[in-house]
Amino acid sequence: MRWVPVGLKAAVLAAAVALIVLIPQWAGEFRLGQFTYVGIYFVALLGLNILTGYNGQISLGHGAFMGIGAYAAAILILGRDGLSLAGTDPPGWLPEHGMRPIFVIPLAGLITGLIGYLFGLPALRLAGVSLALATFAVAVSLPLIAKHYETVTGGGGGVSLPLPTTPFGWDISTPHWLYYEAWTTAGILFVVAWLLVRGRVGRAWRAIRDGEVAAVSSGVSPAAYKTLAFAVSSAFAGVAGALFVIQVSYINPDTFPIGLSILLLASAVVGGLGSLSGVIFGALLLEFLPIYAQNPPVLDFSFSKQAPSVVFGVVLILIVLAAPGGVASLLRRGGRPVRLALARRGSGPSRLAKEE
Amino acid sequence: MLKRFWMLAVLASIAAVASLSASAMTHVESATPGVTKGQIVIGGTFPLSGVASLYAPIPRGMEAYFKYINARKGKDGKRGVGGRQIVWKYYDDTYNPATAVQLHNKLVLEDKVFAVVGTLGTEDNQAVRPFLNQRKVPHILVSTGASFWGLQYKQFPWTIGWQPDYIAEGRTYGDWIARNAPNAKIAVFLQNDDYGKDYLRGVKIGLGAKKNLIVSEQTYELSDASYASQLARQKASGADTWVLLTTPTPTVRAIATAKALNWKPSTIVINSVSAIDNVMAAAVQRAGADFVNGAISTSYLKSVTDPKYANDAVVKQYRTLLARYGPQGADANNQFYYYGFAKAYDTVRLLTAAGKNPTRASLMRATQNMNWVNPYTLKGIKVKTSKSDRFPISQIRLIRFTNPNWTEFGNLFKGR
Repeated sequence: MRWVPVGLKAAVLAAAVALIVLIPQWAGEFRLGQFTYVGIYFVALLGLNILTGYNGQISLGHGAFMGIGAYAAAILILGRDGLSLAGTDPPGWLPEHGMRPIFVIPLAGLITGLIGYLFGLPALRLAGVSLALATFAVAVSLPLIAKHYETVTGGGGGVSLPLPTTPFGWDISTPHWLYYEAWTTAGILFVVAWLLVRGRVGRAWRAIRDGEVAAVSSGVSPAAYKTLAFAVSSAFAGVAGALFVIQVSYINPDTFPIGLSILLLASAVVGGLGSLSGVIFGALLLEFLPIYAQNPPVLDFSFSKQAPSVVFGVVLILIVLAAPGGVASLLRRGGRPVRLALARRGSGPSRLAKEE
Repeated sequence: MLKRFWMLAVLASIAAVASLSASAMTHVESATPGVTKGQIVIGGTFPLSGVASLYAPIPRGMEAYFKYINARKGKDGKRGVGGRQIVWKYYDDTYNPATAVQLHNKLVLEDKVFAVVGTLGTEDNQAVRPFLNQRKVPHILVSTGASFWGLQYKQFPWTIGWQPDYIAEGRTYGDWIARNAPNAKIAVFLQNDDYGKDYLRGVKIGLGAKKNLIVSEQTYELSDASYASQLARQKASGADTWVLLTTPTPTVRAIATAKALNWKPSTIVINSVSAIDNVMAAAVQRAGADFVNGAISTSYLKSVTDPKYANDAVVKQYRTLLARYGPQGADANNQFYYYGFAKAYDTVRLLTAAGKNPTRASLMRATQNMNWVNPYTLKGIKVKTSKSDRFPISQIRLIRFTNPNWTEFGNLFKGR
């Protein structure tokens, strides 16, 4: 294990929290909205990193699990009243009145987690590529399922949610509220993820990732732990989906396309698999790169306007080429010489030995 | 110690964020966003990539026309709109409403556009409409034929459509069948969503008392693997008139399926969204020219490939301007560039009508007082609105297919 002084870790964390709290002081409204999306993607990527980074399972359906969370949230926020106003003919078993968005977020996470658990029961008997294909099937079928059950989902035409407002009469602007809502959720879930991966459960997950046979011989049940990882990861995606739909105020099947699932996985890899802090880089990339690729200030060639997604893809490939282990590993690697020097000057070879 | 580099990374991102937001803050707001002495900034989002990228020429056609307006001297002797250069910002929403929402946030909050013009897609526009209306940002000439842009103006006064709506178009077909084939047996094949249902409502209004001519109504989902069972039932119904209220790809599939089932209705109606060159070419390829020749649709714009317009002054000017101001290698035979020109023409008229010192409110007033001829539309069509009529183009003409062209016939039909 790498050796990290607890004090420093706390200091970095404190700096990160301070930064997150301070961003609204500087950022204009649009930029603030972008950082809200970063928080939302951060939550989704945390979940995906638990599954892929810590448990070694590839999911090509995480965008769809976000979609499930988003639909759950949208339906709970609207209730039967809201849905009939939106022009659908909602079934009687739905609650009559909508709920406050803030209470819907954890519920959406629970519902998506449960669905993820049920999906994981049979699917996780599959391994590697087969599992990736099974999750891909979820990503492919979610839009069709949403179109089919149009009385609940609004079908292809989708449903609009009321524009978000600050709840409880709090005296902050709505964009600020949405930002704090997303990042408070992200903070809580970061702690949850950290507690999970550092403890017994995380050890079991990593053991399965690194060698399933060895894990079994140590008394770890792969099926149980893999299903748990899938459920936790889906719950995170569901929470992210709920935050997303609150921010966008509209949902239809096209909002969660297959491309989103693939981008999520790519961003998780870019951030660094198996590193919780690396997730932030994936989230920043996922939000800023597509917008940047629309209108690159540096690469101002007319081609970029023809195909923003091509620009996006090229930048993604460059990042992965430069940092095969993700941004997190790049920083780790790039910092090594300085780290060694510091260690030498600081507390002598004994510490260095410990670190390596 | 390695965590020190995390700290560095965090500090670096602080610096990046600070510089980004600093640039955002130095922007001084003028009285009317997007309007300065020399510029008027407008924007919209379109699917430049992805499933709906066939529409990508539309904003580029608009861009070419705006460049032309910026370069030429108008009647007042000034370039652009009253001396203001049009700045046209358009982004790729990939036909994803969530992306459209974020990009409209960018257009309004960061690019500070004066108005949103021409954003494409019914769902994308539905998704951005509440935000734009809340901020009182004009959301005009949207590129979709849903009827509610013109109908829901009380709830969303900052939104207005442009092209004839699906109900109006459906009425045209119904009216034509009732008058010309009063004994027809009609089979309607429609997409099972608002789009198909809007059209069907229009067809029934047009048929009026002859509504019972419809002997078969079948729907499909975009996810359907095959239309064989629906179309076999339509064939069995003995229908001789087949009304397709479908989107482009399903249109080709439906025609190929009918051909495979050996069902040849004597009259085929193809809604205008699907009656485009590449759909028709694919249909001819799959089912043969004999099958699709004689198909009926509607149009409100001159067809750039129609030999009738080969020497038309407006179409000729369009070809010259697109070659000069359009993207390199733009195919002038692609009707979507022409659509972009037609829309840009009305945009410029509206910006001019909004007055010497345009405000968002004066632009919206102008959208309620449109009354002119758009030279890109068919002869006789008037772009006309009022306080209670929010459908800028509502006249349509029937067209008939003879591979590879559509030819106009009959009189103009008033859809609204």
